[in-house]
Amino acid sequence: MNRTDYPRFAVVGHPNKGKSSIVASLAMDDAIAISDTPGTTTRKARYPLKVDGKTLYELIDTPGFQRARQVLAWLREHETDASRRHEVVRKFVNTHKDDARFHDEIELLEPIMQGAGIIYVVDGSKPYGEEYEAEMEILRWTGQPSMALINRIDEEDYTEDWKRALGGYFQMIRTYDPMHATLSQHLKILESMAQLREEWTPQVKASIALFERYHAMMRERSAAAIAKLLYRALSHVERLTLKEGEAVEDAKKRIASRYKQRLRSFEVETQKRIEYIWNHQHLKKQQEQIRLEGLDLFSKESASVFGLTRKELLVTGASSGAVTGAGIDLAFAGHTFFAGGIIGAVVGGVGAYMAFNELADIQVLGRKIGRRTLQMGPMQNRNFPYILLGRILFHTTKVAQLSHAVRQSVNFEMDERFRERWLTDARRKQLEKYHKQFRQAKRPDEKMLAEYEALILEIIDTLLGEA
Amino acid sequence: MQLKRYLDLYTLLQQDRSSREERRAFGLSEAVRGKDAAEQLCAWAEAHRTSLSRPLLSEQVEGVLYHATLIFGIAAFLLGIVTATGLLSYSGKEPVNLVYFLAVAVLFPLVTMVLAVIAMFRANRARNFLVHISPAYWMTRIIGFFDRKGSLTFNTIPLNPLILNWIIIKRSQLLALLFAIGMLLALLGVVATRDIAFAWSTTLQIDAAQFHAFIEALAFPWRGWLPSAVPSLALVEQSHYFRLGGKLSETMVSHAAMLGAWWKFLAMATFVYAILLRFGMYLLAGWGLSRAIRRSMPALDGADVLLRDMNEPLITTHPDEKSVSSDMSQERLYTRMDAKMAPSYDTVVGWAIPEETLISLCDTFSVTAAACREAGGNRTLEEDSHTLETLRGTVLLFVKAWEPPTMDFADFLKAVSQRVSKVVVVPVGTPKEGYVADARHKAVWERKLALLDYPNVWMLR
Repeated sequence: MNRTDYPRFAVVGHPNKGKSSIVASLAMDDAIAISDTPGTTTRKARYPLKVDGKTLYELIDTPGFQRARQVLAWLREHETDASRRHEVVRKFVNTHKDDARFHDEIELLEPIMQGAGIIYVVDGSKPYGEEYEAEMEILRWTGQPSMALINRIDEEDYTEDWKRALGGYFQMIRTYDPMHATLSQHLKILESMAQLREEWTPQVKASIALFERYHAMMRERSAAAIAKLLYRALSHVERLTLKEGEAVEDAKKRIASRYKQRLRSFEVETQKRIEYIWNHQHLKKQQEQIRLEGLDLFSKESASVFGLTRKELLVTGASSGAVTGAGIDLAFAGHTFFAGGIIGAVVGGVGAYMAFNELADIQVLGRKIGRRTLQMGPMQNRNFPYILLGRILFHTTKVAQLSHAVRQSVNFEMDERFRERWLTDARRKQLEKYHKQFRQAKRPDEKMLAEYEALILEIIDTLLGEA
Repeated sequence: MQLKRYLDLYTLLQQDRSSREERRAFGLSEAVRGKDAAEQLCAWAEAHRTSLSRPLLSEQVEGVLYHATLIFGIAAFLLGIVTATGLLSYSGKEPVNLVYFLAVAVLFPLVTMVLAVIAMFRANRARNFLVHISPAYWMTRIIGFFDRKGSLTFNTIPLNPLILNWIIIKRSQLLALLFAIGMLLALLGVVATRDIAFAWSTTLQIDAAQFHAFIEALAFPWRGWLPSAVPSLALVEQSHYFRLGGKLSETMVSHAAMLGAWWKFLAMATFVYAILLRFGMYLLAGWGLSRAIRRSMPALDGADVLLRDMNEPLITTHPDEKSVSSDMSQERLYTRMDAKMAPSYDTVVGWAIPEETLISLCDTFSVTAAACREAGGNRTLEEDSHTLETLRGTVLLFVKAWEPPTMDFADFLKAVSQRVSKVVVVPVGTPKEGYVADARHKAVWERKLALLDYPNVWMLR
């Protein structure tokens, strides 16, 4: 009996075997209550995959079996013939609807008797036990298409024992680790769900294509957020009016502190935006602001992990200066004997090298009605864009790969070789062209921003293995 | 595209808290279907205009711009009148040199219009010299200076350089247009109220025929339909004047009445070059501003996200209603804890543990018992009832630590606790773990026993 026009799948099993984790992972919802205390899920909860309000399929998180042997005893007692077993299960559900003793069983059997497919979850890291037989037998009595998911919660591996035990009860058996599942593993499970019943196949297959698009959309939105962060941070100008009688040196310290704080806030805002994009709004962090193992945006450690080396900076500055100089050579049709390019390379390289630790100039602006104003920015440090970009890409990669089933606090582990994964010489040259524009606080045109966004997207795809 | 729409959109984007669902629903509505980004944004702003709180930023900005333009426009108009009156001032001793007038009424507008066209091509530059030398630019600076105490200054108005440049270019054309109108009116006024003898005089080696050719060329737009406003060669010859000697030629004086005929040409030159062309430039600048606003809308902060939300399919996996879960977070410590196992018990029971494993467990933990019994697992409820009937005294109940306690177990435990003097629950690990239970799993059992709180039930620490 199928009362809906879309497939539904009830995720059922023994208590504490990771049902809610699997639903959280498949539904990409980090708000689902997950706990190691049995009985956390007391009511079934529906997680429909909707596209513009139209449901393609629905996952139903259910409480675990509590009195499976008692249910099976009742079913056997009321069995008339083997072909009418599903009717006996329905009778059980109708008879015990308001019976508190079987509350959890009713919650999990009701959607199945209304036509939902069964996804039976077991823990493959623990040995198989006979106590599961009653549960599996009840599910077999329902006559609904079924699939077993072996979820290895811990290190030990009893998968083969489980496969032998489950083989007699379920149409197909798959392994799935909700804590570390990739998009392709997620989609493979959906492929399996599509095969459970022929009439469900088109809709579940459509949802697979949709999940791929959804993932692409999240990457594109992340790229847009990162591109915006870089433009905002590099072109930002902080202004400060000197207080009455305030020494310029004191004010310089004050504006430098405010300038740094403003850039930090841009980074945190973008981190939150990325977490929102990837449905990780409930991410528990060690600190409100992810400090990447305590590395402040302006720390030397951050510069050494994410930034360019002095040598790379020299090359970047030189090539950027050479491009400017070459423009002069071109304007003089080569009559400068390419001196422009050479001088530009030297000036750019030395400038970048010398300004390794400098952020931005602090200028004292003219007096206005007896007041002086300090101005700091836009960012002049050529290393800073790479530090900022590296940090936000690192954060994005971690968030994108983080399971929605994770509930404990997250402290992203530092990856010393992260920079090598995305920052090639060719990319650095490409990026520098845009960073130079941002540093001059010139508003780039939309086409240029779109190009920069596309470049960031390409990097994200590389990091997430989608390229 | 009006500036008001741009500023209203800016304000709405700043204060908008709409959900993705609401944005996508709007994106699917007829109001935006098939429209480009700017039109979609305008439609969205139009639909949400009611949520704007007054005073509107757009009204404030437009108010400031209007008043500034009005003041500067009147000034430009008056300046036009004063300039033309000055140029046409005639004492009767010397004729009015119409070359001056032509320089201001034709040459100056043409040069400034060329500069304006160049400025238009360079409008997307933040530092645009041609824009910065415009009086309209200084108009905005002066507004900013006088409005320093107010909340609105041109530094705080959220306009990108592209729009600001086009505003300045457009206002410049308007000021120049008003200046030219002032000149024309002054010319007509002076011609109507005074008799003026026009002449032309220049240091350049230009004879009457060349000057006439030049005049003919200038009069090209109207010479076909208004020939009376095109001076003849004879008039040009008669109007040629040299200041040397300070005396007027006899011929010029005898044809003084003819010299006044120049006014039609001057009026038409002013009208065509300073007014009509300028009006065309004003319209062009208006079109450019509108295009700049249209181009800048998607670049507004938050507009890109709004456009994506409206145009990309909304894929949700969240429940329609919040999932219900019981609050199990409260830590309840179980107080009836045994530090170690007694050497012997009346009965050892294994919950879902086969008998051979049970014997192995007793050996491992050096426990002896009068009887070993199985319960739970795949045994029937009747078999469990029989087991229950045999229990008395003290019972050691082994349970698999990794399998959380179900209500099936709770029912059995309750029945046991009612029959015996003491039952000790011992969660054990897997054989691979040497039957040593994981602390996390033991904590789960402890919490559950604390929750059940059955009498006579103890747990091994």
